[in-house]
Amino acid sequence: MLVENLKILAVVIGTLAVFTLVANSIPQVQSVVPEELSFGADVTEGELTASGEILYGGAGGCTACHGLGTVAPNLVTDEGGTGSIGVRCGNRVGGQDCKEYLYASMVEPADYVVEGYNPIMPDMRRSLSNEQIWALVAYLQSVGGEVTVTGTDINAGGAGADQAPASPAPTTAAPATATTTTASLDPVEIMRANTCFACHVLSGEGAPIGPAFDGIGARVDADYIRRSILDPAAEASAGYEAFAGLMPPIFGGQLTAAQLEIIVQFLASQQ
Amino acid sequence: MSLQGRGVDENGREMSLSRPMARRNRRIFKALGAFGLLAVAVHVFPEAAWAQEVASRQYGTFPLVGSRIAIWVTAQVHLLFAAFVLGVPMFAVVAEAIGIFGGDEKYDKLAKEFTRLLLVAYSATAIWGAILSFLLVTLYPGLWLYLTEIFQISMWVYVGLFFFESFTLYLYYYGWDRWSQGRAKLGHWTLGILLNVWGTLVMFIANSWLTYMMSPPADVGPDTSPAMVQFWSAFANATWMPINIHRLIANVVFGGAIVGAYAAYRFLMAKTDEERAHYDWMGYVGNLIAIGALIVLPFAGYYLGREIYEFNQQMGITMMGGFMSWLWIIQAFLIGVLFLTGNYYLWVGMGRIPGAERFTPYTKYMLIVLILGVIVWATPHTIIGNREELEAMGGTFHPFLGVLGLMSAKNTAVNIMILTTFLSFLLYRRANARPTVSWAKTGTIVQAALFVISALIVVFYGVYGYFVSAIIRIGFSVYQVLAVLFTIFAVVGIDIFMMRGAESRGAIRWGHMPPRSQYALFILAVTFTWLMGLMGFARSGIRQHWHVWEVMRDTSVDAATPALGYAAVVISVCVLIFFTLVAFIFWLGALAEKPVVAKVSPGAPSVTGGPELAPAGGD
Repeated sequence: MLVENLKILAVVIGTLAVFTLVANSIPQVQSVVPEELSFGADVTEGELTASGEILYGGAGGCTACHGLGTVAPNLVTDEGGTGSIGVRCGNRVGGQDCKEYLYASMVEPADYVVEGYNPIMPDMRRSLSNEQIWALVAYLQSVGGEVTVTGTDINAGGAGADQAPASPAPTTAAPATATTTTASLDPVEIMRANTCFACHVLSGEGAPIGPAFDGIGARVDADYIRRSILDPAAEASAGYEAFAGLMPPIFGGQLTAAQLEIIVQFLASQQ
Repeated sequence: MSLQGRGVDENGREMSLSRPMARRNRRIFKALGAFGLLAVAVHVFPEAAWAQEVASRQYGTFPLVGSRIAIWVTAQVHLLFAAFVLGVPMFAVVAEAIGIFGGDEKYDKLAKEFTRLLLVAYSATAIWGAILSFLLVTLYPGLWLYLTEIFQISMWVYVGLFFFESFTLYLYYYGWDRWSQGRAKLGHWTLGILLNVWGTLVMFIANSWLTYMMSPPADVGPDTSPAMVQFWSAFANATWMPINIHRLIANVVFGGAIVGAYAAYRFLMAKTDEERAHYDWMGYVGNLIAIGALIVLPFAGYYLGREIYEFNQQMGITMMGGFMSWLWIIQAFLIGVLFLTGNYYLWVGMGRIPGAERFTPYTKYMLIVLILGVIVWATPHTIIGNREELEAMGGTFHPFLGVLGLMSAKNTAVNIMILTTFLSFLLYRRANARPTVSWAKTGTIVQAALFVISALIVVFYGVYGYFVSAIIRIGFSVYQVLAVLFTIFAVVGIDIFMMRGAESRGAIRWGHMPPRSQYALFILAVTFTWLMGLMGFARSGIRQHWHVWEVMRDTSVDAATPALGYAAVVISVCVLIFFTLVAFIFWLGALAEKPVVAKVSPGAPSVTGGPELAPAGGD
């Protein structure tokens, strides 16, 4: 019986070993997590293209489709005799230079689909940050062409004024929502999540320690409200001077820009 | 006494005594107020700060192996047990039905034995599910909070259904002997059907959580509050139903394979001929269930793959052509092992069937076809990999063999392999039977013609596919599949009628199987289990560094999806844990109750005039 059990064990372990061995004998590729990129206004061409190249071959996921010219055009190699992407990008769409074309291809990929291919490319703003997209643009320009991306383009956020990228959460080591308590865009929900009502009253909710939110829009303007949130110690409300410095200056880091504006506009509307 | 007093203010005006007093009082009140506010602030803001810290805590840490491994192993082992306890009731109910409506008590006893295995494994399923829940809460609180916000109602329903399932299972098993006759037996059988209903609903609910992570609704983004996510849209997302169908079929396959392995073990440990005969038969039934359901499983897989592509092309292309592309080569290798081993078991099994020796010369040709099919199936071609992958391969594809890597060749190969396996089953079934109907020869010719025609159709479209565009080539796979499925159903239909009243060339000698045949059943069970682990890795891995695809990014230290070699080690560990626990659990079950060995005469004739599925008691 023991011998039989050992044979069975040998068969099981032997089978597992074969599968494990086969799986370890093939090329080993691990996925790459995109790193946060941060460029100043004086970012160099070398920095941009180096970052873009890393993204292109890894976390950007570009080579999943732009590898062999079967599901998407070749970019870093020749595409049907027209050269690499850096060579041909300036001639693709009338009125668009290379930089504009490449940026638009990533954020509005369905606008101009190369003939012979299907409109399957996703809006890269869902998975890449503004800096990452521009780094890719710079890299692709460098493949046979001239890099014209600058820090100004990156800080402007887009190639055109009407570009309104739905930028994904910043790819930092910290969680995407680590510095916010909620992803909500409802002003009351935001204020609840950030415990504003621990000291302020609105429509009967909250504690009357700090200035009431009811009617605040009639007392102060939006700029004042914004300053009070971001730098509460700068100026105390009339009658609350004794409590100056008690409100923590943490909300500037806790709220997203969108949430801050939503609260400011909401409170300013409380007449 | 009045509080009025004398004094002069800053403007020289005489103040009443109350004004200094009042001012002092105001200062006292302000101080008290400030102190009170400070006390509140000290209490509220640390709590608020603590609340902020709790709310912002996204990840925990697990000692030694890390959080990802902890969740991976727990989830995988839970899923393996869950697949077993969901798959077994499906064929237990069918076996019981054959026992009731076919009048064959052996099938009823077989169904009861299946259910006994199910009972002892059920607790393990629940325990691993609880461990998984606790680990998720403690190690991934951010994700857990997010998902519970959306799916909390379904989680309550899930728990409720789990109770129903548990009690139904207990009633189903423990009431087996009590409700064994007449209407009570029908009621008992209905309990089995109900057990399947509860189990299926439980699985459907759990599937919605994990498929939401893979394919959230298009209107959900990183800034969408979970409270704003539409429940049904999240629940019935793009990949929910494809996963439901795929898992339903896969559970049957997996359950059959584990039952086969159990039977193989009992066969090897059997002390009497009767026991050996019983477990030989049980192993055959398990293998029949597993391989039979396996035939339709790829179609469910293709449907899932197609829906993934429809949902997000980038995800689909990453899965098939990106860094995960080699995973399908591993899968092809495993599928090859399954086909070869399953057929080997049948061919060895023919050794116990009188009359089967006339088919033995054909097995070598079937083996050649299967080996060629596996080679084509496993040949890579268009692997759109990154630079490291392409450099390691020495190019994009092999200049000669690469042409076999196209789906045109692969679909052809797998359909031919399916036809060959079906032929093995058919020869096994016909081995010791001599049909007595007048149209037997014509029927056999028609069956042979169906095989040949469907093979020709499969090969034709496979070759033709090289001369058309990809979008047309994809459509050819439908014709190939339809040809094979039609052949299977038509041939089985003809055979059922043709074998009615057939004469026996001799009884199947149940129990007269060499031990190597039982090792084949173990290999099948291990391979199916490993395949499940591999597919689980595929499903999770295509999300890459997202907890919820393009909604909630994975920012933990384990965000990168590991390479296949690493995954293979983890999968093997999971399989080892699973089989160790299964062996222990089944041993426990055997302690509590001796399984009822159906009275099978080892030398009993095999054909009763109906479908040959089990050793019968007479001609």
